[in-house]
Amino acid sequence: MPGESNAVAGVLHERQRPVLLRFVTSSLVVAEMEARKIKHASSELWIRAIQPALWLLVFGSALAGVRDIAPSQFSYMAFITPGILSQSVLFIAIFYGVTLVWERDLGLLNKLLATPAPRPSIVVGKALAASIRGVFQGLLVLALSIAIGTGISVNLLYILGVFGVVILLAMCFSSLSMVIASLARTRDRMMGLSQVIIFPLFFASNAIYPTQIMPEWLQLVAKANPLSYGVQAVRSLLLTQNFTMLPTDLAVLAGYTLGLLSLASLVLRRIAS
Amino acid sequence: MAELTTGQGVAPSPPALKSAVRVEGLTKVYPNGLRAVDSVSFDVKEGEVFGLLGPNGAGKTTVIKSILTLTSPTSGRIFIRSVDALANQAAVRQVMGYVPQEVSVDGDLTAYENLLIFSKLYYVDRAERGTRIREALRYMGLDERSDDLVKTFSGGMMRRLEIAQALVNRPSVLFLDEPSIGLDPAARLEVWRHVRKLNEELRTTIFLTTHDMLEADRLCHRIAIMNAGKIVVSGSPDELKAGVGRELVSVRMGGGGPGGLESGPVVLPPGFEFMKQDDGPGPGRGAGGREDVILVGGRAEEGVPQIVRAYEAARVDVSSISVSRPTLDDVFLKYTATRIGEAEEFRQAKSARRSFRKHAR
Repeated sequence: MPGESNAVAGVLHERQRPVLLRFVTSSLVVAEMEARKIKHASSELWIRAIQPALWLLVFGSALAGVRDIAPSQFSYMAFITPGILSQSVLFIAIFYGVTLVWERDLGLLNKLLATPAPRPSIVVGKALAASIRGVFQGLLVLALSIAIGTGISVNLLYILGVFGVVILLAMCFSSLSMVIASLARTRDRMMGLSQVIIFPLFFASNAIYPTQIMPEWLQLVAKANPLSYGVQAVRSLLLTQNFTMLPTDLAVLAGYTLGLLSLASLVLRRIAS
Repeated sequence: MAELTTGQGVAPSPPALKSAVRVEGLTKVYPNGLRAVDSVSFDVKEGEVFGLLGPNGAGKTTVIKSILTLTSPTSGRIFIRSVDALANQAAVRQVMGYVPQEVSVDGDLTAYENLLIFSKLYYVDRAERGTRIREALRYMGLDERSDDLVKTFSGGMMRRLEIAQALVNRPSVLFLDEPSIGLDPAARLEVWRHVRKLNEELRTTIFLTTHDMLEADRLCHRIAIMNAGKIVVSGSPDELKAGVGRELVSVRMGGGGPGGLESGPVVLPPGFEFMKQDDGPGPGRGAGGREDVILVGGRAEEGVPQIVRAYEAARVDVSSISVSRPTLDDVFLKYTATRIGEAEEFRQAKSARRSFRKHAR
């Protein structure tokens, strides 16, 4: 039946369009969907910025008086700015799995999976979407930190570097969250698991105190925690300007991100069915 | 699976029609051993509205998800316009449109944006996107609401938007999973009208699943009835109903013969037969109190004039006539010994739609 399959055969031919191009296009479109949603409900962005502001202003001010908590050359507020910045990105990103389960409960996820878009591009698109929100959070935390005069260095190039780290952090933790979503499979369990994982990630890191004050076992946990590498990278860009560890920090963070993105792509089908 | 053919009724689809979706021996066994779909085979012709009718849990959604490559079947073969779907997943996804039974539009985007995103995901050329989106919205009667956020839409409008969204890639087959689930009666009629228009005017091949007999009857050229993972019977709704039994005509009679004449015995033409005959005046029978029930060989409506003539000849005053025909529920009953009930899945989908709309507000 040669003539019969012309329509599909034509499509088959057209699909010869490079896979990589389709992958990149589809990822960007999935992220664009999120950007458009933010545009329609931008008040949510400001509400979400309240929490990191409180951490910086309340927690930061309260602990600033504790002696020797931070390296003496910086104020405590300056010390925790990179930590709070990274933490706010973590908090935003870790709830992307909840969104995914929610979209599964509706028909949205199946509808996305029924398009010809390569499936990993849906995961990458969602991770990029988390980055969009992450960058906005980063902007607000930085602006606040500069406004209250914590003494972080304001160098445009370094600040661009900070946003690079923010994008990696958001992609890393949103894909972690999507992997967890595939295990949880229900919204309630997903909410619970997110809460369970979010605090160890935050407190077993160098975000609000140096790891040297921790017992040895906790230091090991902090060393395995991708958040620590993000914080360390941001800290080197905003405070120390000592970049000897930066390549390592970025490499570890990128490694985690790639690994988790791949894992999330593999388990995406599990969430859908 | 029995392919019904009857002497009269609707002619079967001409064999010259090309196949749009062909499924052969589709079987899906879940890891827990549940055999959700059990060697299901059917052939949907181009331009046809084909319905998979069955109670919840019959395996309809698993069939639709297998065809759409959303779940991999344990065994069996699927062809979309004779292209092997399992071997060319991304390519066949390109030519199919899908409306899941749950909500599949994003309430935080406008109607236009919902369609825009999907036209991009289907790689519709940039130059063509705007035209296609506007066309699809106009076709579904939503062009006036194009820039409104979808969370302000009613359930029926959302459903129509979902169908519009599934049209942006000009699919050769449109899949509708329970198209009118959770909709109020007016919205349901509106969705039916649009589905029929789509098939009649654009010749879109439509594959739908439903647990709603009326929906299958109104929309489908052919249906396959599914129960416990298997197709038990298939054919056109008329063929299936004709296979259940003969149609009935009930005749209500007035007091006496016209003109005061004494009425005689009613003699039915050949092919007609009394199932129940009220024989004459008796105590407690007022005007219009007598009723005969007649079994008709062919279509009941066509037998009505002959019946009326027979009563006139016998000088019996007829006050009203009603026709009752077997429903698809009777068909289902005949083949599965159970009735199609409203079960769990339906309520879940309904509550999912409700909770979505609540969330959206």
